[in-house]
Amino acid sequence: MVSIDASKLSTRQINVRLTELIGARKDIEIINPKARHNIIVGILAQCNITVRGSLGYYCASLLDGPSVVIEGNSGWALGENLMSGNISISKDAGASVGASMRGGNICVGRNAGARAGISMKGGSLVIGGDSGFLTGFMMQKGQIIVCGDVGDAVGDSMYEGEIYVGGDIASLGNDAIIVDITKKELISVWDKLEENGIDKQPEFKKIVSGKKLYHFDKLERLEKSSV
Amino acid sequence: MCGVIGVIYKNTEAAGLASVGSDLIKMLESLEHRGRDSTGITIGGVENKSDYIVRFRIEDQNSNALEMLSKGISSIGAVIEYSGFANGFGKICVNYEADVGKLANTIADIDGVEVDSIGTNSEIVKDVGDATELNDHHAIGEIKGTHGIGHVRMATESKIDVSHSHPFWAYPFPDISVVHNGQLTNYHSLRRKYQDMGHKFQTGNDSEIISVFLAERIKSGLSLDEAISESLEVLDGTFTYLVSTKDGIGYAKDSWSAKPLVIMETTDRVAVASEETALLSVFQDEIDRFEPQEKECMTWLV
Repeated sequence: MVSIDASKLSTRQINVRLTELIGARKDIEIINPKARHNIIVGILAQCNITVRGSLGYYCASLLDGPSVVIEGNSGWALGENLMSGNISISKDAGASVGASMRGGNICVGRNAGARAGISMKGGSLVIGGDSGFLTGFMMQKGQIIVCGDVGDAVGDSMYEGEIYVGGDIASLGNDAIIVDITKKELISVWDKLEENGIDKQPEFKKIVSGKKLYHFDKLERLEKSSV
Repeated sequence: MCGVIGVIYKNTEAAGLASVGSDLIKMLESLEHRGRDSTGITIGGVENKSDYIVRFRIEDQNSNALEMLSKGISSIGAVIEYSGFANGFGKICVNYEADVGKLANTIADIDGVEVDSIGTNSEIVKDVGDATELNDHHAIGEIKGTHGIGHVRMATESKIDVSHSHPFWAYPFPDISVVHNGQLTNYHSLRRKYQDMGHKFQTGNDSEIISVFLAERIKSGLSLDEAISESLEVLDGTFTYLVSTKDGIGYAKDSWSAKPLVIMETTDRVAVASEETALLSVFQDEIDRFEPQEKECMTWLV
């Protein structure tokens, strides 16, 4: 494993060094990140990166392929626009974790801030603890799994996708509804937790779009078959 | 954008005054990317043997404002115990037993004089430029106290000058000041309401109303905690603000959780900031941090 000491480099130098090491197919650790912003961005290759400490805003963003493990917290918008790959953070994630993600998997070990999974378009966002205000706001696809409680307005204006909540729901957002969860679905959600190393099996509630806010004349292929 | 920070030491009674100025500067320097238009701090719990510490500015140094200031203060029976003035920025320590509002008006009414703060144990220092410049020009790092707040500004709501820099003192209430990240949408209606009550606003900045609101509510008998809770119902817009008083600090976050704040707490110190990177500039180890959510508020007293 090759180590990058962030305290000695500018943000751009860290990201350039990462790209070089990934080209050389090395496993990488970043030390002394000190909650700095914009670290680990724009990487489009499979690789393993471990961060020893907390990250700031927009870290592990615009990724397609990497596996990133963060031993600490993150600021806002961790994993923004993730295409594929895996991001796992041991402690808390700030607001807007997984914003606009399209694929891959993000696992937050403890709590997430406001607007987790805002506008997500695919993939899965797993939160071991609680999640804040407007979780899944305008999400369009994919799944959000929250083992603990969610704040107000969960699933507000969501189009598609599923939000599973293990704890209390402060309130549902506009056009978000709770529907029955099948045993098969529940087991698949528990499997997802196990994959992410979370040793919990809560009785999840399932939240989907009520589709009363739909005003489209062109539905997606799967939608058409159910109309 | 803007960045806010705060710190409070819990054991200063036993351990003595703490390096609050140095903490504030380190935290502000690590948040410089959130705004470099202006930077400012309030330090509370500073050593003061007089009744009031006054921080003021005289923009045109050739005027006779300094002389007028000294005459004005004597004319109301106040006694200047200490006086320092350099590069347009001044500090005086005054003994005065009558109404502090009269002292504030006497100073503020002198042509060319701007009052930044009047406090019994706190003072505001603010200037245009970044945190390093603030420290270079005003030696903030050397000031000891028990608590304080600070701000780096990226101006959106009003002009860039020292008066429109944060913190905003709640003129004329001693020791109450606010730093704010966000925009208030009901500023003008609130301002009109307080002007009708006779309040004199010092600037055209929306954040000033927060400190005035809190000071008015505290004056009417509410605790700091109660005043902050009430502000969540009264203020409209986006905000994470911090307030500093004679004996503590507090924060409030708006109902959309639109502006960030993270908190770290140890047995002897609490630090709060817009970003974790500022907290890590004063805490050696990565300790657990707490991120408040929408419509939350909290206070800590010395």
